[in-house]
Amino acid sequence: MKAFWERFKFHSLFIKIFIVMVISIIAVALSASWTTVRMSERLFMGTFSITNSKVISQIKANFESFHYSIVTATNNTQLSGTIKSFLSEKDSTSQAMLRTYYNMTTQMKRIQSNVDRYEVGIKIMGENGRSYATNTNNLLLTDSELNKQKLTQSTLAEPKRLMYHFYQENNQPTSQESVIVASKALMERTTGDIYGSLYITIQEGDFKSFYESFVSTGNDVAILNKEGQIVSSNRNELLGQQATDLLGYARKIEQEGLDYVNVDFRGKDLIVLADVLPSYDFYIVNLIDKQTALGQMVDTKMVALFCSAIVLVALIVVFLISRRLTKSLTLLSRQMSKITERNFHNYITVTGSFEFQELGHAYNYMLDELNDYVDKLVLTQKEQRNAELAALQHQINPHFLYNTLASVNFLVQQGSKDKAVQTIHALISMLQHALSNVSETISMAEELENLKSYVFINHVRYGERIRVNFFVSPDCTEARVPKLIIQPFIENAFFHAFNRKNEGYIHVLASQDAGMLILEVVDNGDGMENMSPERSLFGPESKRQLFNGIGIKNVHDRIILLYGKEYGITITSNINEGTAIKIRLPLITTQN
Amino acid sequence: MKKTFALLLMCMLILSACGANGGNKNTADTGNAGGNTEAAKEITIWAWDPAFNIAALEVAKAQYTAANPDVKINIVEYAQNDIIQKLNTGLNSGTTKGLPNIVLIEDYRSQGFLQSYKDSFYDLSNSIKGADFADYKSGPTSLDGKQYGIPFDSGVTGLYVRTDYLEQAGYKLSDLQDITWNDYIEIGKKVKDKTGKALITLDPNDLGLIRMMIQSAGSWYLTEDGKTPNIADNAALKEAFEVYKNLTDSNVANVHADWSQFVAALNNGDVASVPTGNWITPSITAAADQSGKWAVAPLPKLAGNDKSVHASNLGGSSWYVMNVDGKETAADFMAKTFGADTEMYQKLLTDIGVIGTFKAAASGEAYGQANEFFGGQKVVSDFAAWTEQIPSVNYGVHTYAIEDILIVEMQNYLNGKAIDKVLSDAQAQAESQIK
Repeated sequence: MKAFWERFKFHSLFIKIFIVMVISIIAVALSASWTTVRMSERLFMGTFSITNSKVISQIKANFESFHYSIVTATNNTQLSGTIKSFLSEKDSTSQAMLRTYYNMTTQMKRIQSNVDRYEVGIKIMGENGRSYATNTNNLLLTDSELNKQKLTQSTLAEPKRLMYHFYQENNQPTSQESVIVASKALMERTTGDIYGSLYITIQEGDFKSFYESFVSTGNDVAILNKEGQIVSSNRNELLGQQATDLLGYARKIEQEGLDYVNVDFRGKDLIVLADVLPSYDFYIVNLIDKQTALGQMVDTKMVALFCSAIVLVALIVVFLISRRLTKSLTLLSRQMSKITERNFHNYITVTGSFEFQELGHAYNYMLDELNDYVDKLVLTQKEQRNAELAALQHQINPHFLYNTLASVNFLVQQGSKDKAVQTIHALISMLQHALSNVSETISMAEELENLKSYVFINHVRYGERIRVNFFVSPDCTEARVPKLIIQPFIENAFFHAFNRKNEGYIHVLASQDAGMLILEVVDNGDGMENMSPERSLFGPESKRQLFNGIGIKNVHDRIILLYGKEYGITITSNINEGTAIKIRLPLITTQN
Repeated sequence: MKKTFALLLMCMLILSACGANGGNKNTADTGNAGGNTEAAKEITIWAWDPAFNIAALEVAKAQYTAANPDVKINIVEYAQNDIIQKLNTGLNSGTTKGLPNIVLIEDYRSQGFLQSYKDSFYDLSNSIKGADFADYKSGPTSLDGKQYGIPFDSGVTGLYVRTDYLEQAGYKLSDLQDITWNDYIEIGKKVKDKTGKALITLDPNDLGLIRMMIQSAGSWYLTEDGKTPNIADNAALKEAFEVYKNLTDSNVANVHADWSQFVAALNNGDVASVPTGNWITPSITAAADQSGKWAVAPLPKLAGNDKSVHASNLGGSSWYVMNVDGKETAADFMAKTFGADTEMYQKLLTDIGVIGTFKAAASGEAYGQANEFFGGQKVVSDFAAWTEQIPSVNYGVHTYAIEDILIVEMQNYLNGKAIDKVLSDAQAQAESQIK
């Protein structure tokens, strides 16, 4: 779990980027497709309403030209004296009647030619009971039945108007055809007497042809009369129905000058366009089924499918790219997090994009520099240490010189000339060692010489009650050791180990063990209580050195500085038994 | 570099996908309207006169669909003039769209259609035999030895009279058995005096009366070749015109302008008689309250023409199968009903009053039966007897073209133009038009 969390931590950038990208891609895709669909819908509505208004005006023009023909026919009928006399005169002689009938039929043929373009029938009916129809198929009624019809009644009530009616011939099972009837009362202009009525009939099927070519699935046309009855429609099931709601929409469009209205008509979402046919007193209503019309235009399923496909592809691409981008970063951060391990030597592998390569290079370069500086620092410190040691080494204690020279003086006065010379030689040898370069190493043999000189001088001054023995393994004589490394311990033993005892010995041993040079300074003096090397040897109360500035503490520091922590000094001491000091050094035999 | 390319690719992909959304789905659904592959089992028939032709068709339809339930038969009623106009329009335009499978055509016109549009009609020689039908029908219904039409009703004429009106004027049916048109007018005058009813009703635009008169004398608007107008020197025609004028001058004629008014005049009892084809029987018998008041007398003959007989023909029509999809079904329908079914003819006669021209049917029982509506008169056998006397004439192809001229000239004549001038003018017009 923790490992997983660790992993997750290093991928958090990737995850964040990816999540952001996923959300934004989906948001963009959704909003883009929604906007597109909305826009195309709106555009579609706009263009559709424009084209359909044009269509409506075209339909209107068709209706108007039909109306014009009918008006012409009506006017011709009204102006015809022949027809007037046919419809108004009483029966007379056969010959006169025959003439009247003949002239009337000739006249009617002429009038019929006005409307020849349309499949219409003309019927005239006179107040004298005579009638004539050019097409016996429309208005299958006897004259007396027709007289009782509402359409005749309303025609006669308003004799000056040409009216259009809707009439369903439901009394004939073989022809349940609906017809549109244009009717007009035939009136004597001067007197205002009505002498007959004129009916121009057109079958609804033929009436339909004025607009039928403009309709399609989901794009229907209905003609309403002012009572809201559907007098004609390309949808036959609507025919004759009462559609007051449609009439309401049509009125609203007309009065408010709207382009179209969106309505819910019999459970369908429709766009309704409408116009008024003033000459007919009809409304022409165009019903567009939004679902059908838009379904043809915008395939929402297709859009959704496309969008999902794009989103999917984009997500895969984004996943791969951001994964690739952040992979180097993850690696980098992982490697960088290990900076503290291995003393700044964890160089990182340079991979990934240019930016990350640069970063890696810079990081590695920084590590280089850092290491460089650390090395320099260590070197400087070493040098500083050496300088310090040199300074200490060169501090030959004036008392030592004074005492030694005083001893020599005494020997000369005693006449022991040879001993005086030996002492002077030993002093010279010591000074030579002390004043030469402190950083140099010397062979164990030379160190031994030096120690012997020191011991000789001390014996001259203080007598020979403390004997010093040197046991150097022959294979160690050539081993290299730092200068003056043993002298401080012998000095310490001379001046501090025999305060209560009057005599004793000091053994200096040199041997090698497991590739290490072991030097031991062992005395049988007073020993130390509660021995701990830090306190006794390196403590602040460390006494002033008698020969030069290099003290025991310094020796320890020096060894560690020169050879590392595995080397150094250990001290064991027991009261009245003496002290043993063990110095471990690397076994180096060559000059370097 | 690779990454830049991938990015570019992605952009292109998205752009192209966006573009693809815009302009699809503009393929309009041009529906398969009018594709009538099942037409073979659905046939349309045009005819006129619901009381007669349509009624006969309904009987035939019922017979046929009982045996062939998968066939749908649409019977469409149009006025005869509309049928002629629609046929002409359809045939002229050269398309078969909108044409029916079967159409009823009057014998006067059939040759005009057959000769002009032979290929548009289906040769029925394999389905029926012309010899099975009345001989005078073969002229109008066949062409170049091929039988195109199924002869339907006979146009044999008679003088339908209201015996009640005649009796009021002092006449009996026996008084009408051998009369001339002049006698007929005299009777009419008396009837008018006594009853106030007109003798006859005339349509100024239909000279059927003239046609009956001249055919009874073996004459026609055209000479025997069927092409040359025969008007100016046609004695029968001249006499017929004179009779016509006499009818109007005597003030015994009523006037009508269309079929419904014609039938109404009969049914309302406005006229005392009507000389016309036997196909009017159903229309007359439709007025059941007038049962027993009607009788049929032989047609009067022309006094001044010794060839004239008491029999003539008016109208009569035949079925024609159009050469359109479904013609086999249509031909089968016709052959199995009007071309073979004698039982059906009995039914047509008893139920509707159709006198067919199918010879085998004439021996049937119904043909010899007395008709109660006509006072127990054996109307059908009378008509059958008269049928044999009908003088055969060649109607040619221009009957109605000439009649249109004569209708106008008749008005001129009635208005006082001299008869010889009238006829010679008509002859001149006919010659110039028919060429």
